[in-house]
This record gives sequence, structure tokens and C-alpha cells, in this order.
Amino acid sequence: MRSAPARIVLTPEHVEIRLEPAGLGRRFGAVVIDGLLILGILALSQKVFLLFFGAGIGKALQATASFLVIWGYHVFNEVRFQGRTPGKRMLGLRVVDGRGLPLTVQQSFVRNVVRVLDFLPLLYGLGGFVALWDRDHRRLGDLVADTLVVREDVPWSFVRLPFPPLDGELGGPAALRRLRHRLSLEEREFLVALSLRADRLDDRARFDLMAEVGGHYREKLGLQVPHLSDENLVRALASAAVKRE
Amino acid sequence: MSTEVERFLVDGERRWSRLGVLLDRAEAEPARELGRQGMQELVQLYRATASDLNRARSLTADPEILGRLNALAGRAYRYVYRGRPGGRRVSWARFLTGEVPAAFRRNAAVVWLAAAAFTAGALFGFGAVLWQPKAAVDLVPAQFYSESPRDRVAEIEAKEERISKVEEAAVFGAELYTHNIQVSFLALALAALTLVGGLWVLWYNGVILGAVAASYLVAGEGTFFVAWVGPHGALELPAIVFAGAAGLALGRALLLPGELSRAESVRRAFPDLWRMIVGVALILVCAGLIEGSFSQFSAKTVPYPLKIAVAALLFASLLFVLFVRRRPEGES
Repeated sequence: MRSAPARIVLTPEHVEIRLEPAGLGRRFGAVVIDGLLILGILALSQKVFLLFFGAGIGKALQATASFLVIWGYHVFNEVRFQGRTPGKRMLGLRVVDGRGLPLTVQQSFVRNVVRVLDFLPLLYGLGGFVALWDRDHRRLGDLVADTLVVREDVPWSFVRLPFPPLDGELGGPAALRRLRHRLSLEEREFLVALSLRADRLDDRARFDLMAEVGGHYREKLGLQVPHLSDENLVRALASAAVKRE
Repeated sequence: MSTEVERFLVDGERRWSRLGVLLDRAEAEPARELGRQGMQELVQLYRATASDLNRARSLTADPEILGRLNALAGRAYRYVYRGRPGGRRVSWARFLTGEVPAAFRRNAAVVWLAAAAFTAGALFGFGAVLWQPKAAVDLVPAQFYSESPRDRVAEIEAKEERISKVEEAAVFGAELYTHNIQVSFLALALAALTLVGGLWVLWYNGVILGAVAASYLVAGEGTFFVAWVGPHGALELPAIVFAGAAGLALGRALLLPGELSRAESVRRAFPDLWRMIVGVALILVCAGLIEGSFSQFSAKTVPYPLKIAVAALLFASLLFVLFVRRRPEGES
């Protein structure tokens, strides 16, 4: 499936924030996790009500409670935790208003009422079909409530991974392929590990190590990049090793 | 170039991780605000991060860097510009007695349309069965159909009361209202997305009611039917019509937005939609409780004229509260 282009929100500070629509696989995963949690809550509440109130009133409470859980679980979590149910949180998803703002109770309610239609004929057939064709991968409930499920997970922190962008002789897809071809897996892992740990090295040791490694690869790969320091060369190579195409 | 990016990242890291920490705290405890200082700090960090995002875009195209900054700025933006929760506090009593009826009155047109679809269906079903009693087999789903209404009435009146304890009534009532609310939600969703689909659900439910009513009338058991369905039906049937009407109001905003953008048009419809839905759910809870208890009594316990009188009273009160009585300050 093609990945959706981001929807762009312009903040009052004139900064563009991109909302990256979440893919269907992840969303389905989140729904499955939430579904299992709902089933767990229902089973538990049934036990508790029967235990404390007996078969008569306990059953009435149980019917009301399961209704509230089935219809209220998503709305409660989405409103209380800023658009994240437990399943969405685990998979790094969040529901937001179409303008990038938090969703309101009403929006959450509407998108979750329409869930009954999205679920038809079974396992989100209709919702999935609509989401495949929608530019922002929205299901019917999202279309009606003007909401959007976005991806919001970028796990790495920068200081741990300060790889510079690639340019010149190290940039471009062709150069990237060439580099990858000539660097073994072990070498690539070594370069990444070195870049990650450089901060923790003693200054002198860091300089010497980088000079040695950088010199080695200048020679091995025949790179003509005099403008890069040895450390920057190492980081650039590490960047090439992890860069997604 | 690359050293510049590195410096930028090292400079910004403390800011960004602090903003992340503040946002985590704010999201974990939305009810407890961050406090004046925390809020000021968050807004400052948000502004700084937003400008960092702009700067990062000019410095690099690295998806990891831009992705994380973008996600962070987006989260902070949502928090800083979020709507004030409950900007206008209204008491529950005021909400239920003032705002909910006002929402129904404002949307009288779609309520009439939904009621018309339901009534037309009921008349069709009623007429079809009066004219051709055999038609009931085709019109009525199996669970509502009985070969001979007269036998069924005799059977119910001869046996002991179906509901004899409060507990049984509670169980049955809870099952009924949860089921009815779900049917209403379905009508709402279908009406919102297709308009016509919602009208069809209403029409079809009307047909079933009309056909069943006619088959009891033909069998000479009209009084039984009204006494049996009336007490809860007086609330339940209007509630399903109202749910359909709420769906039609949303569908009109969604499919026929006029000069507004679709999103804006839908947003404007939300507050009234919300009030109507809360109204529908409450009516259905009452109806379910009545259906689970009072409606199930046969003539041995409660005379049928009394049951019919109660039904008429409930229906009249519902219409009075929603459409006739106006509190001077109730309109907003």
C-alpha cells in the first residue's frame, strides 16, 4: 500500500506541522489490542458483579456495564488521554482533529458510533475499504467526525544519533548503494556503534580513534572528501549505513 | 554543514527533552493543570521548538531529525491550542431540561422528516396487512411474527406473569435498553452517512410495527396490543425516530454542507447532535425499564385501560417537555 502524503497544518507561529496518517496495518493492530482489552474488562466485570450482587441485580448491572464498556472504552480513552487508547499508545498512534488539534468529546463519540458501520460486514471490512481509498487513510467514522489517526513515534533521541546528512560524494542513491556494497555488515555496525559512543570517550582517545578509523576508510573506499574531518567522515558513513532509502 | 547540524542538535536537545517531559506530565494528568510556571515554560518551549522545526528544515532533510521535531511540535501545538475544557459550565439539570429540548426544537425539520418516514412505513404496513392479512408473513421478521395473535394472547394471559420480581425486571430492562440504544446508534450512523439509509431504517421499523399492529387488530386483539406495546413504545418509538433525526442532521451537515467546508459544517452540527443523542439515550433507558416491568403485566395485574392511559400520558409528557414547554432562558 502506498504511504499517504502528510496533511499540513499551519500554526499561528507560521510553522508547518505535518500530520502523518497512520497505515492500516498499525491501526488494525491497535484495534485488535483494544478489542482484547475490552474482552478482558468484560470478563472481569462479569465475575465481580455476579460475586457481589448475585444473579439478579448482578446481571442487570453486568448488561449495563458491558454496554458502557463496549461503547465507552474508545471514547473515554480518546478523550482522557489526548487521542490515545492503550492499543494506539502501544503502536505509537494518536487520533487528532483534522486541524491538528485535540479531538473533542463529540468528535470522539461520533467516530466511535460510526464504528458499527466501519466494522461491517466483518472485521472492519467497510472501514478498511474506505480507508484504502482515502488520501489520509480515514475510515467512515473519521470522515464524519473530521478526525485523523496519525503516527507519532520517533524512538531515537538525537544526541544519541547525531548523524549528519549526506552530501557530495557520499550523497545520492548511487553513492549510497556503492558504499553499502563495499561495507560489510560488521563494518556498518561498528561505524554506528562508534558514532553512538563517541560522546562517552575521552577527548584524546576519541580524536585518535576517529583519525585511525577515518583514515582507514578514506583509503579503503578511495574517498576524496578533504572538507570532512575524520569524525564527520565516520558519522557520515554510519549515516549511510542506517539511512533508509 | 554537518557540524552545524550537530551543533543545532546538541543545543536543542535539552529543550526538546524538557518539552517532552512536560507534555508527558500534562497528558497523564489532564485534570491537574501544569500550574502557572509549568504552563509558561511549556508555551515558551513550544515556540522555541516550532522555530527549531523551521530551522531544521533549512538545515537538513534527515527524516529522523525532522520526524521527531515535527511530532514534538505537533504534540505541543495540540496542547497549547486545545479548546478550554468545558468553557461554559452548565449544570446537568439545566442541560437536560433546557438545552436538550432546545436542540430538538432547533432541528424540528429533520425530526418531522424522520417521523414522517416512520409513520409512512407504519401506515404502509398497517394498510397492507388489513387489506391482505397474509402479507404479514412477508413483512414481519420471524421473531415478531405469530401465526395466530389470538392464541398468543390467550397463552400470555393464562400463564403466570412473566416478570414477578424486581430483579427480573431489572435484568430484562437492562438488556432491552442496551439493545435499543444500539439500534438507535445504527440508525444514526446510517442516516449520517447516507441520509436515505437512515430514512429506510425508520420506514422499515415503521412497516414492522404497522404490520404487527394490524395482524393483532384483525384477530380482534387490538386492545391487548396497545396495552402491551404502548407503555414503553410511547417513549421507545419516538427515541428511535429522534436518533434517526440526529443522524439526518449530521448527514445534512456532512453531505450538503452548502458554502461551508465539509469539516466546518460538521463541526457546527456537533453541539446539537450531542444534546439530541444524550436525550435519546436517556429516553431509551426509561423505555427499557418500563418495557422490562410494567409493559409485561397482563390484565390480571394491571387493567389494560390503565396501561393505555399510562402510555398516552408518557407520550404526551415527552412531546410537551421537548416541543411545547419553553423556559425563557432555556434557549441558547
